[in-house]
Amino acid sequence: MAQLSLQHIDKIYDNNVQAVFDFNLDVKDGEFIVLVGPSGCGKSTTLRMIAGLEDISNGKLILDGKDITSTPAKDRDMAMVFQNYALYGHMTIYENMAFSLTLRKENPNVIHKKVLAAAEILGLTEQLNKKPSQLSGGQRQRVAMGRSIVRNPKLFLFDEPLSNLDAKLRGATRREILLLHKRLGATMLYVTHDQTEALTLADRIVCMSMGHVQQVGTPLELYDSPANLFVASFIGLPPMNFFDVKVEKGFLVNSQLHTALSPEEKDLLKAYEGKQITLGVRPENIVEGGDVSIKVFSNENLGMNTLVHGHLGDSKSASDKITAKLRGWCNYKEGDIASVSFNRKHFFDKDTTNAIRKEGQP
Amino acid sequence: MNEEQFIRRDRMRFTKNTLSSTLAILAIVFDVFYFINIYKSDVGHNVGNFYYQIRIGASIIYNLVFMLAAFLSSEGVKNYKKEYCYILLVIGVIQIVRIFILPAQAAAAEITIGGTVYKVMERAQHIRVVLYLLVSAACCLAGGVIGIKRCNELSAHLASLQESKA
Repeated sequence: MAQLSLQHIDKIYDNNVQAVFDFNLDVKDGEFIVLVGPSGCGKSTTLRMIAGLEDISNGKLILDGKDITSTPAKDRDMAMVFQNYALYGHMTIYENMAFSLTLRKENPNVIHKKVLAAAEILGLTEQLNKKPSQLSGGQRQRVAMGRSIVRNPKLFLFDEPLSNLDAKLRGATRREILLLHKRLGATMLYVTHDQTEALTLADRIVCMSMGHVQQVGTPLELYDSPANLFVASFIGLPPMNFFDVKVEKGFLVNSQLHTALSPEEKDLLKAYEGKQITLGVRPENIVEGGDVSIKVFSNENLGMNTLVHGHLGDSKSASDKITAKLRGWCNYKEGDIASVSFNRKHFFDKDTTNAIRKEGQP
Repeated sequence: MNEEQFIRRDRMRFTKNTLSSTLAILAIVFDVFYFINIYKSDVGHNVGNFYYQIRIGASIIYNLVFMLAAFLSSEGVKNYKKEYCYILLVIGVIQIVRIFILPAQAAAAEITIGGTVYKVMERAQHIRVVLYLLVSAACCLAGGVIGIKRCNELSAHLASLQESKA
């Protein structure tokens, strides 16, 4: 297990393109950190810098109090699991898992014990004599994890390990990774663009965009108190609805919306009276009955819930599109009007895109 | 059996018998050294009467058979298949027997060219080809013996695992 500290890390490529800007993070012993963000946001680059596969342009990387910024990858005692498994096709699963230890010239009996122990943890005991081509994608990914486990590294790094799996297998393997983390108690850094993986796996999530860290927090913090519009739009499925509204005498107003603010909300938006802000409403925070009308254009029944897509009021503008996740089985037809209300609202400054919060709130 | 021995045997469930397999391949290599040396006479090209008879055809065919058998055995013993170990033993013994056929006959043979008597194979060449055959035979025999020993160990180990499972 290990403590990792990233201090003011930058990544600037030779062509002067900067991929990561001033990345700061302290990873505690045994913590599961997920770096999440859209493609090209710098999350994999950050992971590769930690692994030593990319040079760090500026900043420091500290592992257990030791500066490893310039330490070669092989001496960092970290294990990385890749999206494409990176298994040797001509070797058996046993040989694949034993390979790194064989290279280190460890005692074959010790290697054997470690491989069997890892295979037991991952449920691969029956597969040890098979070749990777004889295994399913999920099993192959488990082999890749097993190869990391046998090394007993200080830090586990996962670079989108589930991206090649189908939805069902992804869910199952995700649960296995979670169990593995609990069982090993190891420090893990995990990169994904899938917010479901981030929310279900992480002790803390680092949300990134365009090379910048947008927010670091627990899954609940990111979901419930997003720091800015980007985090609010990225975390949550279906994504949050956004509307440009004006704060006017205790109401949020635009051409299609006229909804009252609660006393706490009024207090929060005191400084924005008469100004434009962005209102964010999660689809699951919309309930039937209220002063907001939606002109429905599609109704998707999911069993427990119904996704209702429509426009606010009689608007046809894309900016007034709204998705509501209503409880139960609804049967709205195209053109029907659904009356709804918002039971939880998020407010964002129009200029800075930062969340509007009470003073002193992080 | 102590823990060390147990793990060594248990490893065989997942690792190949590369030692026996490598020895079988080495046997082929030394057989190749043998046959590229045997037909080269110390008296140049004038030995047609001795070598270029039916025996050279038989010898070449046997070399091919030997290489095929040794190669297949190397794959078989690698995967702990006992029958291939026996094949290695048999071809190992035949390699020894071969020392007394063509090399011995060539070493004993003389040929007269222009009234002068020459030996078909000088002592140095004879020792060389005999050595190649001996090493090739030793590799086959060692590979076979080690293979049989390991096959027995593995099957006993698997049986004991099965027993303890039951």
